Amino acid sequence: MRIILKTFLIVFATVLVLSAQGFKVKATGEQTFDFQDKKGRNQATFFSTTPLEDVTGLSNDVKGKVTFNVSDIKTLKGSISIGTGSLKTGIDLRDEHLRSKNWLDAENYPEITFTIKKVSDVKIVADNKLEAKVTGDFSLHGVTKEVVADVTMTYLDESEQTQQRAPGDLLGVQAKFNIVLSDYDVENMIVGQKVSDNIEIKVNVVGSNAL
Amino acid sequence: MNKKQKVVLLFGFILIAAAIVIWIISGSEFFSKDGIWVQKPLTELEKSLGLEPQLEFHKQFVLGLLPHIAVFIGVVVVISGFLFFMLKTKKDKEKK
Repeated sequence: MRIILKTFLIVFATVLVLSAQGFKVKATGEQTFDFQDKKGRNQATFFSTTPLEDVTGLSNDVKGKVTFNVSDIKTLKGSISIGTGSLKTGIDLRDEHLRSKNWLDAENYPEITFTIKKVSDVKIVADNKLEAKVTGDFSLHGVTKEVVADVTMTYLDESEQTQQRAPGDLLGVQAKFNIVLSDYDVENMIVGQKVSDNIEIKVNVVGSNAL
Repeated sequence: MNKKQKVVLLFGFILIAAAIVIWIISGSEFFSKDGIWVQKPLTELEKSLGLEPQLEFHKQFVLGLLPHIAVFIGVVVVISGFLFFMLKTKKDKEKK
């Protein structure tokens, strides 16, 4: 009976180890990456269309933290947020409209947040790079809905090159997902133009585990 | 239509045509803009981190149809219309 139990445990542990998908880098165990960047080099962009022109907006006020076990990306937890008042579209009047009560209501909802819930469809691209689908709660204008983001993560061990950006190991994250404006109780008229209900959001951030 | 009225009309058309040409040369944007997005080239480190080129906001005025060109055309139409009416000669009035 003991032998059977031992064999079962060994097989179970082996399956667990083999099914874990993560980075093959110098670091081991749980690591926390902070996306704080005082120089404002992290960026979130959104893209939409109106009948008259395409609208591109962005924010460099991106912050957040993620934690995961280096050898198993499915342990990923954390959140990334954007300051609502920091969004810029290239037209001051439109930015004011965007921050107003009818739109994103920056006064009452100062942050737009993505909180990670689950990681799936992990594809190892290289020892330090992987692609995955990350499911999370996206909160905008006081409404929270589940969205799935296509994410690419690249892990760089600390080196002279990485120190130019920040101390410690670096994690580059590129994420892309779409939201439907009407799901978040946002009026889709901006400076008299009807904005497409579908908004594409992209996040391009770098975090360090030594901040 | 007398000679003076013809001159007013001609000037009006020239000004409107010039405004449209300037708008087309400026990029035919519908709305005037306070700046443009410029794609920053990636550094070697950013390439290694798998990032996409970032956009940078450059303050630069871009002339658009609204409000600048439209307001200018409106002003030209109003002034030309006013002058056209004011330059009516007695002969024109008697004809009526």
